Amino acid sequence: MNKLKSGLGAVGQFFADFGHAVADGDIFVKLSLVWFGAGYLGRKQYVKSLIMTIYEAALVAYFALVGIPYLSDFGTLGTVQQEYVFNIVTMKNEYNDYDNSFTILLFSVVSLVILVFAIYIWIYNVKNVYRLQQQAAVGKHVNSFLEDVHDYINGKFYVTLLALPVTGVVLFTVVPLFVMIFVAFTNYDQNHMPPSSLFDWVGLSNFIKLFGGGGITDTFGYAFVRVLGWTLVWSFFATLTTYFGGILMALLVNGKTTIAKPMWRVLFMITIAVPQFVSLLLVRNFFADNGIMNTILSNLGVTGFLHNIGLISNNYIPFLTAPGWAHVMIILINIWIGVPYQMLIANGVLTNIPSEQLESAAIDGANSWQIFRSITMPYVFSVTGPALVTDFVKNINNFNVIYLLTADFYVTTNQAMANSQAKETDLLVTWLFTLTQDYYNYKMAAAIGIIIFIICALFTLIAFNRVVARTGEGDFAQ
Amino acid sequence: MKKLLALILALAMTLSLAACGSSSSGSSDTTSDTSAAAADTSAADTTADDTADDTTTAAASTDEVISLTVWGAEEDQDYLAERVEAFEEAYADYATFDIQIGVESESTAKDTVLTDIEAAADVFAFADDQLVSLVNAGALLALDDNMSAVLEAYADKTLDDVKDANVEVSIEAATYNDTLYAFPTSADNGFFLFYDSSVLSEEDVSSWDSLLAAAEEAGMQVAMTMSSGWYNAGFFYGAGFTTGLNDDGTTSIGWDGTSSLGYAGVDVVKGMLSITSSSAFLACADGDVSNQIASGNICAAVSGTWDAEAAQAAFGDGYAATKLPTFTCAGDQVQMGSVAGCKLMGVNAYCDNAGWAVLLAEFLTNEESQTRHFELREIGPSNINAQSSDEVASNVALNALAEQSEYATIQSVGDKYWDPTATFGEIIAQQQLDADDDDAIQAALDDLVSGVTAAIE
Repeated sequence: MNKLKSGLGAVGQFFADFGHAVADGDIFVKLSLVWFGAGYLGRKQYVKSLIMTIYEAALVAYFALVGIPYLSDFGTLGTVQQEYVFNIVTMKNEYNDYDNSFTILLFSVVSLVILVFAIYIWIYNVKNVYRLQQQAAVGKHVNSFLEDVHDYINGKFYVTLLALPVTGVVLFTVVPLFVMIFVAFTNYDQNHMPPSSLFDWVGLSNFIKLFGGGGITDTFGYAFVRVLGWTLVWSFFATLTTYFGGILMALLVNGKTTIAKPMWRVLFMITIAVPQFVSLLLVRNFFADNGIMNTILSNLGVTGFLHNIGLISNNYIPFLTAPGWAHVMIILINIWIGVPYQMLIANGVLTNIPSEQLESAAIDGANSWQIFRSITMPYVFSVTGPALVTDFVKNINNFNVIYLLTADFYVTTNQAMANSQAKETDLLVTWLFTLTQDYYNYKMAAAIGIIIFIICALFTLIAFNRVVARTGEGDFAQ
Repeated sequence: MKKLLALILALAMTLSLAACGSSSSGSSDTTSDTSAAAADTSAADTTADDTADDTTTAAASTDEVISLTVWGAEEDQDYLAERVEAFEEAYADYATFDIQIGVESESTAKDTVLTDIEAAADVFAFADDQLVSLVNAGALLALDDNMSAVLEAYADKTLDDVKDANVEVSIEAATYNDTLYAFPTSADNGFFLFYDSSVLSEEDVSSWDSLLAAAEEAGMQVAMTMSSGWYNAGFFYGAGFTTGLNDDGTTSIGWDGTSSLGYAGVDVVKGMLSITSSSAFLACADGDVSNQIASGNICAAVSGTWDAEAAQAAFGDGYAATKLPTFTCAGDQVQMGSVAGCKLMGVNAYCDNAGWAVLLAEFLTNEESQTRHFELREIGPSNINAQSSDEVASNVALNALAEQSEYATIQSVGDKYWDPTATFGEIIAQQQLDADDDDAIQAALDDLVSGVTAAIE
């Protein structure tokens, strides 16, 4: 809460300073509201003045040529439908000057980002020249251009260092993110695919559909709740099993009586070395209805036995093709895939446990379970607690395991799910993939994407606060 | 020094971020494409003015190099290279060409094309079930009178000639809303029955009942994919049910009612349930049939020409193929229907050199090309002349397909058709419906219909 307050305070201060600067600034400061370079010119910083002037000219040129044409269409996302006539002389199609809704959306977002940045620079610039005015007024030294440049590779080196990554993040993460968020409020789907047709704003209707409010498929809300439920169940078990499995494995491998420790470690690492899509597709075929595992089990008579006691209704075990069976199998297969990673992490942590604690516990007569419960586990947890939270979030979006094990393989027998293109083993993220990849339903996919983001963000916020507060980062630091 | 290192690291990080962001750079491609297209248009305008005196039929040669791209299946690359070269020779008098050939399977062409239509190939091969989606997304160039004029001017034939040269069913598959959108390349994308004649007699394979009884006796199985609306629709089509496509892109399907032949959907489902209840019936996942044929435990399988090699290898001298068997429906023996599928070659609506692309697509699907395609890969031609060659006539699989074609329908359905029908087939394959419980079967059919007919979002 305090963080929030101080954050808001800083923003308020930023604008308050700007107000002061405009009110109390001299003619150059006031002039720099219109002409970015004016303030620096007044303080005889000619190079900076020139740079700011060029920057302003570039901004104006960008908005005149690109920004404003696209932004003016942002409200409608384009109105001119594509048309063409064929010219037999040139053997080419001649197109009209048609609008592409997606290009309009994309360039509008880019322009908005640039606009926000430009406004920030504009305010920052005015404040900066006001600061220079104050410095000049009390007779302080005003930096020359070279001194400023020098400043950025010394005192303010972090600014230089961060400039590139921040630009990268804005360009390749923030812009696509905003585009996807906007798509959730449009009707961008199979019937509205640019460039041949236009799409338009539809307000909140996608979210209303998502939660069952007069959805187009009657079962969309039904499917959504079930998919969300399995997503959470899966993340919980997938995270927990691999976490404890990894720690146990690491304890076993590092145990005093274990021989050939490096060999075991390497053996378990092999699952990491083989790409998941290879190992998972192989495993999927092992457990197929007509696969090796079923052949072996039916030869051994296990299938017949399960059939007789009524556990299965077919003459094969539906390891990955029936709900329930598939859910359990997926979590089990994930243990095999995920444990080695956790083992690696736990391995590192275990070797760092202060040996005095273990020794004194042993001298006091604690057995291995007590040592594990009261010393090892709290220690490991305090170090890997935050990682546990990220693992959970990672598992919510664990596309690989689910998709590779079930795509085009698991056919649901639940008609309500099928009518919404979902299946029982789908996570939100794999369902989203089907919707976009096979059904071009970008608007719904974007809406589901936003929901996933909200779930992950909320969970991370709460869990991090809890875990970090409870384990009290660094309690074990000595 | 440390700072320099840090700066380099920061740079490296940005670059790696840039690498991840390739999806957004795709969009910028789109814009440059658009502007390029606009530039082309203006260029076209000037040439149009210059040559305004020429009559439209004049096939003037141009010095310009015409760039085109073609997408075809990986197995077709050699064939395409050969035929593209022949095309360049045939039209050498008119223009110089720079034709690139890319790999894109016919079964996934739609997905790739629709990801970015403007960046997709000028000419691409695809399976006929993708036609509607491609047309609705505006990805296919309509083959209208203009294009007929192009063919007349350069290839000395009209679109009507093309329509006459190919079997009717293939032209029907390439037509949507009375407009032809693609050229048929093959007409062998349907299914029929492969069987081992050393195990099963011709009589055995005439009906599902005798087929399954004989297989059971031999201790072998009959494989079919139930969990796919492509295969399991065969039972419904056979009983007189249909599927269709509405103007708004939704699918019409009346399987919950009574068919034109007077059979109820419930009766068809009962017939299917009696087949899947046999221990000799093996329900395969889509695409798994060839593995099962190879396993050696199969004496017959419902599949298509793509499994001919696997069947030939597994059945040896007993390799045979025929039309699909009949099944029991409301006490009658009803001939099982099937889907008549074609492969088509279409032209991208955003192609820069639309006229030349149409000529290329036509050339790659003409009689000579289709004959060559059969010689190289045993692809069943849609061209009537190519079909009548001795080699085609003596091909076991294509013969069976021709036999079945009498009972085959073109499956025009929307995207919403597939998931509900796959699930429905799986329910039947797993015997989750009781053959005596008419109400439950009817309820399942109602669910199926409501899912398939749902509006397109």
